[in-house]
Amino acid sequence: MAEAAVARETLFALRETIARLEGRPIPALAAAAHEALADKPVREAMGSAKSLPTEPTLEQSLLPIGIDELDAALQGGLPLDALTEIRSLGLRDAGAASGFALALAARLHARASDKTAAKSPVLWIGDTVATMEAGLPYAIGIGDFGLEPQALLQASPRKLDDALWVAEAALGSAAFAVVILEVRGNPARFGLTESRRLALRAKAAGRPLFLLRQGGEEEASSALFRFSVEPAPAQARPLPDGSVLGGSIGHPAFRLTLEKSRNPAPLSITLEWNAHDRRFAPVSDVHYPAFPGEHTAHSGADLPASADRPDRAKALGSVLAFGRQA
Amino acid sequence: MRLTAINERAEMIGLKQGQGVAEAKAICPDLDVVEEDPVADRKLLEAIADWCDRYTPLVAIDGKDGLFLDITGCAHLFGGEEALLEDILIRISRLGFDVRGAISSAPGLSWAVARFDESRIVPPEAMEEALAPLPVACLRLGEEIVAALQKMGLKQVGDLLAAPRAPLARRFGAQLMLRLDQAVGLVEEPISPRRPVAQLSAERRLAEPVQAEEDILQLARQLAETLKPGLEARGVGGRSFELLLFRVDGAVFRIAAGASQPLREPNRIASLFTERFGAIHNDLDVGYGFEIIRLNVLQHASFDAMQGDFVGEDRQEGSLAAFVDRVAARLGPDCLQGFELRQSHIPERAVRSLPAMAILASKRRTGEKDAGHGFFRGERPLRLFRMPELVETIAAEVPDGPPRQFRWRRVMHRVSRAEGPERLSAEWWVEEKEEPARDYFQVEDEEGHRFWLFRKGLYGRGGTTPDWYMHGVFA
Repeated sequence: MAEAAVARETLFALRETIARLEGRPIPALAAAAHEALADKPVREAMGSAKSLPTEPTLEQSLLPIGIDELDAALQGGLPLDALTEIRSLGLRDAGAASGFALALAARLHARASDKTAAKSPVLWIGDTVATMEAGLPYAIGIGDFGLEPQALLQASPRKLDDALWVAEAALGSAAFAVVILEVRGNPARFGLTESRRLALRAKAAGRPLFLLRQGGEEEASSALFRFSVEPAPAQARPLPDGSVLGGSIGHPAFRLTLEKSRNPAPLSITLEWNAHDRRFAPVSDVHYPAFPGEHTAHSGADLPASADRPDRAKALGSVLAFGRQA
Repeated sequence: MRLTAINERAEMIGLKQGQGVAEAKAICPDLDVVEEDPVADRKLLEAIADWCDRYTPLVAIDGKDGLFLDITGCAHLFGGEEALLEDILIRISRLGFDVRGAISSAPGLSWAVARFDESRIVPPEAMEEALAPLPVACLRLGEEIVAALQKMGLKQVGDLLAAPRAPLARRFGAQLMLRLDQAVGLVEEPISPRRPVAQLSAERRLAEPVQAEEDILQLARQLAETLKPGLEARGVGGRSFELLLFRVDGAVFRIAAGASQPLREPNRIASLFTERFGAIHNDLDVGYGFEIIRLNVLQHASFDAMQGDFVGEDRQEGSLAAFVDRVAARLGPDCLQGFELRQSHIPERAVRSLPAMAILASKRRTGEKDAGHGFFRGERPLRLFRMPELVETIAAEVPDGPPRQFRWRRVMHRVSRAEGPERLSAEWWVEEKEEPARDYFQVEDEEGHRFWLFRKGLYGRGGTTPDWYMHGVFA
């Protein structure tokens, strides 16, 4: 009997360790929080207006995207103490990927401004080549996009090692609401070890790090979630009477694929970003029926960015379902 | 080819400065002639001047082979003027130089005594006596004047001092009288120090040279602690610091570091140098170690003491400033930039990147205030190219429509929708030559990429078709 109890104890301890390693809520605590949440309406009905202290901390460390489907896949939202990877397929999609990263930063910022007077700035660590190919972040455009330009600081280190150092120092200082590290392709010097190091640093500081991989392949990293972002045609601008203005370009839209998550199946969704409300909204895919990873006809060859190794051989034929290596 | 400098042995043989090389070789066939390298000589002299910083911060270079040191108020630190002069002469000669020096109340007199007399100290009351027996060449005059004076029989300065001034001035010009007055101290002569004098400085002379980086940083921290009361008394904090490391063999290293906020805290000051050491690690040749370490405060700014609040807001600001300083110390002040909006409708001119240090400093000074944009404008792209890139357009709507297709970076894009034009005229009050107006379009291609294109100029003006450029990408 006692032996069984000891074994159970060991098992729980191991589960807790695993949960801690994986960055998930510790099972026992999560269960307790869940119960408390379930109790809440009853308690409110009984007249106790006190909210539980565990609740806001749970919410604070997550950034919900605001789309139920995505948030469910993310288990509540993007973790704010971890590394999240945002990937574009080629450098010409850099605008869409930067847009998604900045939209998340703007969301985070908008939320922070409700709560505290102090707004931490956002740090953008640019990659030299990506900056040359895709341009510098433009403060006024970023202002139009929903993020205050004064809140943006841009670092342009010459070497990748310096960029990693800046990212680590920025996370360690905890002075930034979010650090966006732009990397082009899959550099050999930014492998699993480095990403693990950054992820741990983000965890310790409790600050998010968005790794913006421009034109890179999927690779093993310690990011909890990885998105791939492709541009999508925008909806037309809506008119006050409910119709749309033909031929106009409305809110920017992205085709978002959650490539890596605890959910094994990749999830694709097209979102548009409303800069004024700082909110994402789903876009129906009627005019964009392509599978993720598959491109519509275009005139240029679909070449990946030249990383430090040659492109892998393309699979022959077309895969109808689960068209990617998850 | 002539001899510009000779060593002691050559002097003994009878060679002279200014002698032709052929003649000198005739006198001494196995003469070793080395070509003069004025740049290297200058560098050496500057290195010695740096080295002399240990005696006084006011060191000026004089000509090709001299240094002026203003030791006002410094001599007592070395046990009086005599001890100071002896110390300088012994140390420099140990470094392997033939050196002469003199201390007096006038730079001109010191110059004359050091070059034409033995190394000694001239007391203020004996200035004229010391000068009188020296040749007139000691007055730093032009060669013609010296030759003319000698022709007149005025060979020594004493002759000049005794002669009536007016005829001398009429004959040889004001220069002679000025030099004479400077030499006897009647006219004040300033020296021009090579470097600005530090606002505050603290130094440590070590009995045993230090080599390890940690030791140096530890000493820097101690020096910063020494400086703290001085900064507090003035009500300031340092913005720009300099760490001087005097190596045992005479080399001097200067390591500068800036801060975005006025600093007093020794740990923060030391951490600036920690980053600098990380950056210059390979350039710092420790050699046999450093014997003197000095910390200078080059610039300071008023230190508005901040009271901590309960929210911890200022702590966060402080950590941002510390981060900015770390990055600036390690990767240079331009690595981290912030943006300042300006009143301009030309896209590239409407935003100015400033070093983050400057942004933080200006925010502290003026509060957060930015130039807004008063005019209506279209949406701006998320990323802007440093230089607009030329694109090849096909079937653009004439006269003022967007292109149907364009080729950018060798990829053809089919435009499915476009918004525009937004016409931005050049700012004639800024530019010198008139630039054509730009018509901006936001276009979306069939895949959903959104670009910002512009046409420079109008169709049908000047006979050439206007070019199209890519200026940015939208999300």
